[in-house]
Amino acid sequence: MRRTVDVDATILSSRVIARGTTELALAVPRNAAPRPGQFLHIRAPGEFLRRPISASGYDEETGAARIIVRDAGRGSRAISGLGAGDRVRLLTPLGRGFPMESIIRDIASGKKIWLAGGGIGAAPLLFAASSVRAADLAIDSFVGFRDEESVIGVRELGECGSVSVSVGGLVTDAMTRAMESAVPDSILACGPVPMLRAIQKICAGRGIRGFMSVEERMGCGVGACLVCVCRTGTGDGWEHRRVCRDGPVFGISEVAL
Amino acid sequence: MRTKLCGVELKNPLIAASGTFGFGREYDELYDISCWGAISVKGLTLRPRRGNPPGRIAETASGMLNSVGLQNPGVDAFIRDELPWLAAKGIPVIANVAGSSEEEYAEAVRRLSDSPVAMIELNISCPNVRQGGVSFGTSPERVYGITRLVRACTGLPLMVKLTPNVSDIAEAATAAEDAGADAVSLINTIIGMAIDTGTRRPVLANVTGGLSGPAIKPVALRMVWQAARAVSIPVVGMGGITTADDAVQFMIAGACAVMIGTANITDPMSGPRIIDDFRRYLEGEGISDPGALVGSLRTDEADARREVFENRKSDVL
Repeated sequence: MRRTVDVDATILSSRVIARGTTELALAVPRNAAPRPGQFLHIRAPGEFLRRPISASGYDEETGAARIIVRDAGRGSRAISGLGAGDRVRLLTPLGRGFPMESIIRDIASGKKIWLAGGGIGAAPLLFAASSVRAADLAIDSFVGFRDEESVIGVRELGECGSVSVSVGGLVTDAMTRAMESAVPDSILACGPVPMLRAIQKICAGRGIRGFMSVEERMGCGVGACLVCVCRTGTGDGWEHRRVCRDGPVFGISEVAL
Repeated sequence: MRTKLCGVELKNPLIAASGTFGFGREYDELYDISCWGAISVKGLTLRPRRGNPPGRIAETASGMLNSVGLQNPGVDAFIRDELPWLAAKGIPVIANVAGSSEEEYAEAVRRLSDSPVAMIELNISCPNVRQGGVSFGTSPERVYGITRLVRACTGLPLMVKLTPNVSDIAEAATAAEDAGADAVSLINTIIGMAIDTGTRRPVLANVTGGLSGPAIKPVALRMVWQAARAVSIPVVGMGGITTADDAVQFMIAGACAVMIGTANITDPMSGPRIIDDFRRYLEGEGISDPGALVGSLRTDEADARREVFENRKSDVL
């Protein structure tokens, strides 16, 4: 049975893949492998709280989960500073990921689904793309980065379908342009809040469905402490839902950003 | 390891602290939560509350700030949806109750009194709500008033959770005892804040929050010691406990039982680990009743008192 475990995981490899951005592979128990959109809650050396990091891939053969960490603060720097052979305490897998089975079914039946990523937000989308590819299908991506030095994942996404890369510009501009010839049925998105807001607007205007992975400062990671909430729903029925447990993946129009 | 708290049998004196453990379901997926002596559930209010906007957490040196603001489904939903499952785990359930007004506290406690909860923990120390909460706990008169009111509403054992944001914790504990509390628990979080220098904004959306974790342990230990000397009802200690040794320190200071909170957040397996280590400590010391630890602090003052007592005994003989 697949279940969440708290384990000491060995770092199998670590390499800098862009400026201030490190990809690490960690050995995790096979029955605790993450799926696309799920995250690992990692106790960085010297830090008090754990840090949630989305999985960017999982290798069935080696049992290695991959993460991509951008140096944003003390915690992420402590994680990106880990090297091969180091051990780190982590919870895996956590959260509700992308519904890959229905996504793959939709693609197989001819529906058009796009990936939309901004900056480090491309990381969980690499995992989603590779699982589509594993089903012998293709998925097109739109990714955007601040500058050339920050670009990640283009080669991996290119193996899974066509890729549009925006450097210094808005990924949503590239998407809007592409929509002049073909509008997707749904979008899987992850990135900074302004980008996600723009995508919500595009989706609402054109009746596009989909999912987004959101980020919030987190405590326990398992759903007990109610620290990492986001606002969902509208009118009097709005509520605070847990990013770690009810998410991090939500319906694209579900979250009030 | 067995002990009694206000007449309630606990299999050990270690209790999951309110606000860090939800209603137990999430942790029960990681380990069998019936290993705990008791569980104090997430703070309950009469009506559902959505709590404060995010960000609700900030890391600090050896601790964390939170400003959840009592997000909870309300007492009725708790009794209907959560309590049957939790009560079936076979361990005492402590209902932590908060409110914005006296009437709210009273009605919430009345509704819980007909449910299978073992004990009420009166939360007059939440620093993260605009109305009520900690303001009920910051003066001895208000502690007395709300405790007296709630005492009249329930036949369940009543424990009052005190705030450290007072100048004299002994006064607050005494006020609760005088008003009819069966126990006091302390400390709740210490009000603090954190600032992001990049944006010059507070890290917490609520600006201030409650500090918890090892950072506050020395303060908590001192306050438990002071409270335990001031009252004759049981004192339940908490504040930054992350090891069995920490728990033992609180008991030596005068706590009959201890609560573990923030440690659950940083290490979800803290509960079973601390409980196992505590059992091993007792075995190593040859102690079967954890009550033997309670208030066993040795100070020069205590030693001198003991000496006087021994001398008198020999005079009489």
